[in-house]
Amino acid sequence: MNPETMHSLQELLPQIQGYIYPNEIEIHWGLLIVVYPYITGVVAGAFILASLVKVFNVKEVQPLYRLSLLTALAYLLVAPMALVSHLGHAERFYEILLTPQTSSAMAMFGFVYAWYLMAVLLLEIWFVHRTDMIDMAERNTGATRLLYRALSLFSKDKGERAVAFDHKALKVITIVGIPSAFLLHGYVGFIFGSIKANPWWSSVLIPIVFLFSAIVSGIALVVLLYLIITPLTGGKINMKCVDKAVDFLFYAVIVDFSLEMVDFIHRVYQSEEEIKILSEMVMNKLFASLIIVQVLLGMLVPLLLISLTKIFKKRFSLNEDMRKMVYFISVILIQFGIFATRWNVVIGGQMFSKSFRGLTTYKMEFGGIEGLFYAILLLALPIIILAVLLKILPPWKELREEGEAGAEAAGI
Amino acid sequence: MGKLFEKFPDPLARLIVVVAALFALGAFAYFVLIPKPVKDVEMQWADAIKREKARPVKYAGFHVCEECHGEIQKKKQTGYHKDLSCETCHGPAKAHTENPDKVKPAIPTARTFCPQCHAFNPSRPRGFPQINPVAHNPLKPCSSCHNPHDPKPPTTPKECSACHGEIARMKAVSHHVQLECTVCHVAPQQHKVSPRSVKPSKPQVREFCGKCHGKDAKEKLAANAPKIDMGEHGEKYVCWQCHYPHSPEVEQ
Repeated sequence: MNPETMHSLQELLPQIQGYIYPNEIEIHWGLLIVVYPYITGVVAGAFILASLVKVFNVKEVQPLYRLSLLTALAYLLVAPMALVSHLGHAERFYEILLTPQTSSAMAMFGFVYAWYLMAVLLLEIWFVHRTDMIDMAERNTGATRLLYRALSLFSKDKGERAVAFDHKALKVITIVGIPSAFLLHGYVGFIFGSIKANPWWSSVLIPIVFLFSAIVSGIALVVLLYLIITPLTGGKINMKCVDKAVDFLFYAVIVDFSLEMVDFIHRVYQSEEEIKILSEMVMNKLFASLIIVQVLLGMLVPLLLISLTKIFKKRFSLNEDMRKMVYFISVILIQFGIFATRWNVVIGGQMFSKSFRGLTTYKMEFGGIEGLFYAILLLALPIIILAVLLKILPPWKELREEGEAGAEAAGI
Repeated sequence: MGKLFEKFPDPLARLIVVVAALFALGAFAYFVLIPKPVKDVEMQWADAIKREKARPVKYAGFHVCEECHGEIQKKKQTGYHKDLSCETCHGPAKAHTENPDKVKPAIPTARTFCPQCHAFNPSRPRGFPQINPVAHNPLKPCSSCHNPHDPKPPTTPKECSACHGEIARMKAVSHHVQLECTVCHVAPQQHKVSPRSVKPSKPQVREFCGKCHGKDAKEKLAANAPKIDMGEHGEKYVCWQCHYPHSPEVEQ
């Protein structure tokens, strides 16, 4: 045995509880696989927020429309990186493209991903920004002009017929996009839910729980970004829009929480043979990440905070800063909560022995491809991509329109 | 091209061109650029089989050994090692079968070899012969006492712990440390010869444990043993259905 393995075994062995099979000491799906459903969840959730505007005609959240689309794109571009890196040879990613595989459920992600990227997000973003890009090309010179010309596919037509088609296409794409977003993240849940050898994962509710937690994380992230970016770029936060978005977030958290409780009660009532080891795992190894972070800090506290703004409506409606702060804290807590949800699903599912007689432990590395540093990089990368996207396709006009309109109406 | 732009709205026409170009590019890459073996699974299988077939054969299989070493094979077939192949211990022997005089298979004599299977390890099945390589006849090669082709202990072990090490170690730190195995189990002599077909007895009545743990037990050893009322405690169950006698828990 090589000394490195020996060393890690020496560290891990004393932390094992009860009896585990020899191959269970190492947790194979590590931090990167936690990052992956978190990121795809944000994509799906952000897109659902965007579709609120286009399909369900919720006019209040219009300022968030472009921001949420670009957020979805930025995160979607990073989503497969976690998976490909986890496989250990990121440089061989092109082989997936050369040898399409249709018989493996895991390989289907490539198709689901490609469909969502090419047929939904890129198309929608292109249609939304087409006329803007033509304007930008007209206003700029040199390389910038060429960039916008290329991005708009050298289109110059701002005529009625073309713009009308843009709108029609947007409607169709968003309608197709909703089931696609459900497919994208439902797929992630499906992969876990269909592993029938693992009782922590094997549940028909998992894809649905994943979907709703995705909607929660996506909306929360876009609201968070809006609350941060708008003041940074000198705009005024449109509280009407934030209130409405937080409303939807509130309902999504309630549905997500109820679904998770249904799953929990169902497991406890069924009391199958694994219940003992699972409850021990929840009370010991996952106590901090599940009970404290996921349920208490990630759901109950934000629910309480947001419902306070609703119960004491009068007091809060006068004090916008107070409301902003409550929202800000809530959406940050929700982000941590959802990340903990992913952690508990992925890591939790590998912590108990299939003999149901013992628990292993997960030791996170710092460096290396499966380490904390790389995971933080992957989580930061979408923000950097988003910054670039915001530079190329600025949504400021839309972000501020309502804000300024509101300010004007108030006579400022 | 011009017609396309007249017929469809400008953005749609452009997208049609882009999508068509993407498809053409994809088709070109797939049909022209990518070599056939990369796409064709059957070809990959054939290649893999060819590759595997080209590798040198190292193992001969025990049937070949039998041809010359029939007697040893016969002996082995009746012993405990009957399920092991010759090459499990002697290593790959294809070269030996081709050139019996020049190439000799290895005869493992190191004391580290047999403990790969026979060193004590709690995850091994109970009754599987396991020893502590440090304490068990140090420095002597295993084969000086045991014939690997018909492995039997040279003398039948007196202690139950020779085979039931896990239980012995557990009992040694339990409240039952002072009890001999034979206090509770009756092991017929035959158990030591064919351990799996003749098994020792287990206590079958509640009164057996009651001799020490009953309210009015008179056994001397049991002066400090926890006492219960046999009439009320445990209903119809035999004691070991709830308590593990090799490491009995005490709940006061």
